Amino acid sequence: MDYLLHIFIVSLIYAIFAMSLNLELGFTGLYNFGHVAFFGIGAYTSALLSLAGHPVTLGMVCSMIVSGGMGALLAIPALRLTGDYFGIATLSFGEITRLFFLNERWLTKGPMGLPGIPRPTWIGEGVAGLPWFLIFCMLLTLVVFILTRHLTRSPFGRALKVVREDEYVAQALGKNALSFKIRAVTVGSILAGLAGSLWAHYISYISPADFTLTETILVLLCVVLGGRGTNWGPILGAFVIIFFQEIIRFLPIPADFDRFVAPIQGMVYGAVLIILMLKRPEGLLQEYKE
Amino acid sequence: MEYYAQLLLNGIIAGSIYALFAVGLTMVYGVFRFINFAHGELIAWGAYLALFFTRSPFYLPIYFAALPALLITALIGLAQDRFVFEPLRHGNRITLLIASIGLSYFLRNAIRLIWGSDLQTYGFMPTRGIDLAGLSITSAQITMMAAAILFLGILYIILAHTMLGKSLRAVADNMTLAQIMGITIKKVSLAVWVLASFFSAVGGVLLAVDTNLEPMMGLTNLLKAFAAVLLGGAGNVWGALLGGLIIGVAENLSVAFISPGYKDFISFALIILMLLFRPKGIFGILGGVR
Amino acid sequence: MKKIIVILIVTVLLLCTGWTASAADEIAVGAVTPLTGKLAVYGEGFQKAMLLALDEVNASGGINGKPMKIVFEDNNSTSKGSVSAIQKLITIHRFPVIFGPAASTNFLAVCPIAQQNQTILIGAESAAASISKCGSYVFRVFPSDLLQGIGVAELTEYLNYKEVVLTYINNDWGVGLADVFKEYFLKSGGKLIDEFAYDEGKTDYRSEILRIKKNSPRAVVNLTYIKEGATMLKQAYETKVEVQWLMGSAAKSPKLVELAGVAAEGVIGTYPTFSQDTSQYIAYKNGWEKKYPGQKTPIFGEYNYDMVKLTAEALKQTKSMSSSDIRNALMTASKGYVGATGDKTFDTNGDVGATYGRWTIKEGKITDYK
Repeated sequence: MDYLLHIFIVSLIYAIFAMSLNLELGFTGLYNFGHVAFFGIGAYTSALLSLAGHPVTLGMVCSMIVSGGMGALLAIPALRLTGDYFGIATLSFGEITRLFFLNERWLTKGPMGLPGIPRPTWIGEGVAGLPWFLIFCMLLTLVVFILTRHLTRSPFGRALKVVREDEYVAQALGKNALSFKIRAVTVGSILAGLAGSLWAHYISYISPADFTLTETILVLLCVVLGGRGTNWGPILGAFVIIFFQEIIRFLPIPADFDRFVAPIQGMVYGAVLIILMLKRPEGLLQEYKE
Repeated sequence: MEYYAQLLLNGIIAGSIYALFAVGLTMVYGVFRFINFAHGELIAWGAYLALFFTRSPFYLPIYFAALPALLITALIGLAQDRFVFEPLRHGNRITLLIASIGLSYFLRNAIRLIWGSDLQTYGFMPTRGIDLAGLSITSAQITMMAAAILFLGILYIILAHTMLGKSLRAVADNMTLAQIMGITIKKVSLAVWVLASFFSAVGGVLLAVDTNLEPMMGLTNLLKAFAAVLLGGAGNVWGALLGGLIIGVAENLSVAFISPGYKDFISFALIILMLLFRPKGIFGILGGVR
Repeated sequence: MKKIIVILIVTVLLLCTGWTASAADEIAVGAVTPLTGKLAVYGEGFQKAMLLALDEVNASGGINGKPMKIVFEDNNSTSKGSVSAIQKLITIHRFPVIFGPAASTNFLAVCPIAQQNQTILIGAESAAASISKCGSYVFRVFPSDLLQGIGVAELTEYLNYKEVVLTYINNDWGVGLADVFKEYFLKSGGKLIDEFAYDEGKTDYRSEILRIKKNSPRAVVNLTYIKEGATMLKQAYETKVEVQWLMGSAAKSPKLVELAGVAAEGVIGTYPTFSQDTSQYIAYKNGWEKKYPGQKTPIFGEYNYDMVKLTAEALKQTKSMSSSDIRNALMTASKGYVGATGDKTFDTNGDVGATYGRWTIKEGKITDYK
């Protein structure tokens, strides 16, 4: 069942990606609409390094470092902004990053993309490697899950929630809200970089078209649907959304009707979102309020 | 010199369309404090509905076809509010945002379902530009500019000189206080949605007259409208107008200096710069003047 | 929460059962087609052309009496969607033959998967030169960029333009073609006055047009698609830019004329040549008009049409439904096969050859340039 393996791998990668966003959106209350930029930076860093002949592990570590660094660099000025303004600054950053991938051909090959990105040598290429890749992703997801759970339950995590609920209270308690937010974005970016690098090594081909606003929206949905501010939420959200997208492929549809299938799919997708927001806006899992 | 003057003129033309989109977006933001992602779809629906009325069985000329199109778009705008945004008004802002993303998917795919994904035009033949002091402008563009000025003039009268305009500004300033003062939110929200949809539909039709129709036309221009809104200071109608013009001009002038591949970069860079150095928009200094 | 788990379990069960079984009395192949996303504009046309070919195959007895069927999977016009779609087609349906997605970026994303799974992948509109190296199970009925880039350079030389502005759409197709063009054009002594890429999918290219105008070239090589090409032509006409436009094959469509009107007059371009007077092309055209009355033939429709018909031919000849047998059958069936788009004989890379013809627009009609 290679197809099922494929869906599981994609879901797990998105789960990591979603957990990284959840750290910012769910726990710290930062609307990061350019999160895909860090996913992309991670993917490109890792892909470029491993295509240059360096080991995949090095690529993955570097992708985390570069994404984290860029995250911190963006966060320091952008976090002076609040709420929607931060959202739009990050959205712009996401688009600028994509334009960079698209136009700096000397580095990224531009729209041609980067084909033939290798997998870690012990996993093996092709279908035979799929189960191993799945295990690899599961392990990493587990590590990230434990890490974020630990983080969010630590004093650091509680401080983040205070910052989210009321920045002034946080200040009054002697917490430097800005520094907490910067750290949250940095960790979020590192993890997004990891997800991006996994994606690049799994899919073996990346191009700027893979890192658009649509991806940000997709991962945003994973977080919000699953339940923001919960540890399990993003994982559940990622699985539900990826599976939902794939299940649509299995609806029995008469052949003459083919032309209409795709738009109807889109409409259903949109309608489900709206209904979900109307009926259960907190997502599938609810944050436990102390 | 002429080259730059022509770029400037083109920028103003493009900017006046952006301004029409931005005005509606910023009005909704000003009153309801959320970013409506589905705003772009109102642009596209306006344009497509006009197309619908120019074809069989109506065969209306575009000026007349635009009228029912504007009306129906306004109804769609009202329906958006009635069925999606109003029930969510007291919820979390991110919930509203996600619902608007869902709505945008839904409406865009509905266009695909009805009119297909192919490019369409109103069937105007291209005309040579008219020479104006060495600059070239087409009659369609003159009509466009005239229409944009006319509609923005109407908006000015409504906002500055009617009771409706006053209550609109009052609600934008402070919804609770406005309610205490006896302003009915229902009426105001009706007016906001009608005006916002109306202006995006006008912009959509004008844009389609100038270029083509395709289902993505709304989304592509939405980001520009965002930038314009921010530039002008969110919620500030005149700011959005000027913001639209600035973005149009900046984008067009940029081509003289940088690779056109980076054309979009300009609006995003402007967003980030504005946010960092003038987070209240160019009119922030003027405070309450709207 | 419980509901979700139930739904998940049900899906997994659905995935594991029933769906693999396709009716034994039909021969089915898969197709990854852009039905949503930015390429949907073209995808619909591809699909219609494939369905037309399918109708004709089935009307004349199908595959040795069994009806042929195409299962379409949407790819959202993205490489991610393409990978998901092909994974489904390969592992759930186990189709031995899959028609690949449009746009070279998407095609390149799926070809290693097809190659590793020993599934035959055929492309009808992917031009990137690197596709030739995809592997032994990958074919395409569309000629490589390499040939077309040289074709445009030769056209420019033939028309005696020594200095041109080169502009191209900033995507895989445009950049790939521009690189080949540049290499050959410069080598043969040509000179580029200006060179720039522009964004895909914009509605306003006036500033780009002005940048062309500033250099007042005699000719502009614009490697563009229909939508962008039409918008640029129209806006150049309005701005009174009088140059000779030279284009590639992707813009050659009646839709370009429909969108740009008089502004498209006099454009000269190259295209993989196939005579439109052959009985095969006329059959395609007539078939199209019968099935889709009043609609214009889509861009690359004839390639999709040929792809389906050639595949049907190979499926008739194959010894078994194993992919290596089909691959051999495809090689033999293609030998000397003449479709609507001419000779489709595959070389060892799975590529077809092409001579490049020249098209121009005269009085609102696309005709051969002489």
